[in-house]
Amino acid sequence: MLAYLVRRLFAGVILLLVMTLVVFMLFFASPVDPVQFSCGRNCSPELKKQTEKALGYDKPAVVQWKDFVQGIAVGRDYPDDPELRAAAPELVTECNAPCFGYSTFNTKTVNEEIAETFPISLSLAIVALIIWLTGGVLLGVTAALTKGSILDRGLVGASLILYAFPTFFIGLFALKFIAIKWGLWDKPVYTPIAEGGIGEWLYHLLMPGAVLAAVFMAAYVRMTRAFVLESMTEDYIRTAKAKGVRPRIVLFKHTMRAALTPLVTMTGLDFAGLMGGAIITETVFNFNGLGKLAVDANKVYDLPTIIGLVVLLAAFVIIANIIVDVLYAVIDPRVRLG
Amino acid sequence: MARITKRALAATAGIVMLSTTLAACGGDEGDNGDGPGGTAGKGGTLYVKAEDAIEHLDPHRTYIGLHINMLARTVTRGLLTQSTTDDPAPIPDIATDTGTMAAGGKEWSFTIRDDVKWEDGEAVTCEDFRYGYSRNFATDVITGGPSFYPLSFTDIPGAAEGAPEYSGPYTEKGQDLYDKAVTCDGNTITYRFNKSWPDFNLAVAALHFAAPYRADQDKGDKSNLEIFSNGPYKLEGEWDKESGGTLVQNENYGADDTGTRKALPDKIVFQLGDKAETTYEEIIADAGPAKTTISFNRLPASMFSQIGNEIPEDRYLNVASPFIDYLWFNTEKLDPALRQALAVSTDREAWINASGGERSYKIADSIINPNVPGYAPNSVWKDVPPSGDADQAKTILEDAGIDTPVKVSLQYPQSEGADKQAAALQDSWNSSGLFEVELKPEGDVYYTNIQKPDHDYEIGWAGWGADWNSPSTVLPPLFDSRANIQGGSLGQDYGKYRGDEFNKKLDEASIAAGAGDDAARDKAYQEGGHDPRQRRGLLPARERAVQLRLGLGC
Repeated sequence: MLAYLVRRLFAGVILLLVMTLVVFMLFFASPVDPVQFSCGRNCSPELKKQTEKALGYDKPAVVQWKDFVQGIAVGRDYPDDPELRAAAPELVTECNAPCFGYSTFNTKTVNEEIAETFPISLSLAIVALIIWLTGGVLLGVTAALTKGSILDRGLVGASLILYAFPTFFIGLFALKFIAIKWGLWDKPVYTPIAEGGIGEWLYHLLMPGAVLAAVFMAAYVRMTRAFVLESMTEDYIRTAKAKGVRPRIVLFKHTMRAALTPLVTMTGLDFAGLMGGAIITETVFNFNGLGKLAVDANKVYDLPTIIGLVVLLAAFVIIANIIVDVLYAVIDPRVRLG
Repeated sequence: MARITKRALAATAGIVMLSTTLAACGGDEGDNGDGPGGTAGKGGTLYVKAEDAIEHLDPHRTYIGLHINMLARTVTRGLLTQSTTDDPAPIPDIATDTGTMAAGGKEWSFTIRDDVKWEDGEAVTCEDFRYGYSRNFATDVITGGPSFYPLSFTDIPGAAEGAPEYSGPYTEKGQDLYDKAVTCDGNTITYRFNKSWPDFNLAVAALHFAAPYRADQDKGDKSNLEIFSNGPYKLEGEWDKESGGTLVQNENYGADDTGTRKALPDKIVFQLGDKAETTYEEIIADAGPAKTTISFNRLPASMFSQIGNEIPEDRYLNVASPFIDYLWFNTEKLDPALRQALAVSTDREAWINASGGERSYKIADSIINPNVPGYAPNSVWKDVPPSGDADQAKTILEDAGIDTPVKVSLQYPQSEGADKQAAALQDSWNSSGLFEVELKPEGDVYYTNIQKPDHDYEIGWAGWGADWNSPSTVLPPLFDSRANIQGGSLGQDYGKYRGDEFNKKLDEASIAAGAGDDAARDKAYQEGGHDPRQRRGLLPARERAVQLRLGLGC
């Protein structure tokens, strides 16, 4: 097991390095000139050169990539200009390893940006995960157990309808009508636990969390129903029933265990994706999480932030994959890692 | 404004809004809240919402008119400031008067008052102004601001070419050169320029590149989102770039002695990030803080239908902005007659209707905004109806022997709104039967491409606004080929307009301005701007800033 984990982690690190190199190359191959973008339109060629230097884009892309990787390994100081650092050391920003870079647009290290936005995305993803897993699995199992009934058809139909509504529609509807127009729920404003306690934190996360969870829940209802129904047709279930095992034991010990395995895979990947992928929900509710940070960084061609987020989000997916694979072995005794 | 971003609203609009809000808002807890149009009340909290983050709080890095007028001037006082009335003349702020010009505009002096204080109680000194101005030269640290102006005008070797030999106060390279160009004699600061800058007083009133800065508060890039105030408000706690911050009264600010900063609310809370639609929905719902909320963003065109219904007319302001939208033609590629025919056949009304109608835009008749002194309607548009004149265009083409339909293309930066506007233009040209127009939308790369000297675009969209109240910040930056076309860039001269006669008129205007002869200056600009009409871009629309006024508490 340990050798397996080490092997997977090593492969993950290599994958991350390749990804950062690809992003660097794509960024500099883009026809958009990030220096011009930052320098503005009253930008003389001389001013452009100085802005290029200030942004750190005056070196070849490969050198910049090497500096980036080095920063992750041993940390970096900003600005890069040795002359300026020698003349005015008070201007230097230290960025300890693993240093993801320095955003000149946000005037802070990417590590600081991530530290500020990560808790918001994590909170949102956790609340959404709880809502969609609880709702999706419960309703999916209910639909499977009442297959063919009005309840089953109603649940399947409702999940289909919910699935058809895009997140931005549900989000805007909730915000505009439930929060603003009807005043049924306060407009969500992310409140850290340290500031408002768990109650306040959860209250403000429920609406965006539910919006984010809606589409996932609809999908999980249908998938859970399908997986449970499929499991119920297995020979070992029939055998268990024939042996007179109580229905509750058949359902929870035998049927659900098999049905859960593919759900675990999906949950792990969905959760990891949500860490930086809740862009629409974060934008609609003005939650300054990783997704919104990524959108804002793209708007202004903030390469350090983009790269830092790519590494972080890719790491989430890689780690989630490893955790899912380990969980497989825990849930399904037939699976052995090695 | 040099920044073309459409999110940037106007100095004028900002000032009007600021004066309105700060004068009329009683606040949610104030001792007076007479509602719209009521008497001014003191106290309470004003909420200011904006969709986008504010990139810079550092005065020398702030260049967006809206941010200068709606935020920066509440915490930063400079030599001069702009009036909140329609009078475009600058008024003294920390200077004792509006300054003394000498040497034909190559030298300006201001005397600093000794009773203005920073938020820690220390006096604002002449050295603070000198240090603040020097920061513009640290172009590797102080980015994003209007440093273009001090860099090119200040009498430091290399400045005229855009690369001064002074590199700012951090490295102090070339410090002796700066020390000669900008000097303090007691309380009097003198700026020396390498060429005439007769508008310097207007420039420092409108922009903050000459604002004072305390050297002991300067942390370079790390000061970007910090405020060290000498104005009526100061920052409470920290400013968060994404979510905003809270300004509270600065106890070291004396009484409003310029008539421009009444500072009535106890607090001004800036809340960033909400979509404009969301903010306006809250304002319309009129509950809680929304009662004393204003927005940086324009009322979305999709909500215009609510004006007069959910939005009372008296809570709605429609303020003119200094921006002009225009179309430019590639003068190297399109025949003058073809350009003229395209211009007169353009249905400018359709373009405006596709952009939200008259609440968003109105037809312009000059590249110079009517708010700018020296504006005069361009006579070339007098006989052209707003919906275009296909017959006149046909005659022009026939006289020039150009076969129709002529195939041309229109390039523009793509967005949902821009697509609709471009489609309206295409319809107007194609429906005449004289043209076959192809639309070529582009993403952010548009602005990079139209500055390339070898671009082969035919027609393009652009927008411009004056940096201060003078045509000198409109015609020269847009059409002076000597300043624009150099170093592998077209600058703002996207249509590659090279006109020696026009450039001569610019020089005449500059000389007249240096001599203090405003009438001669305006005449020269008008002659330059109006005469070669068939070679210039056409000027169909003028943008307006559309704002919803305050909640009921104000």
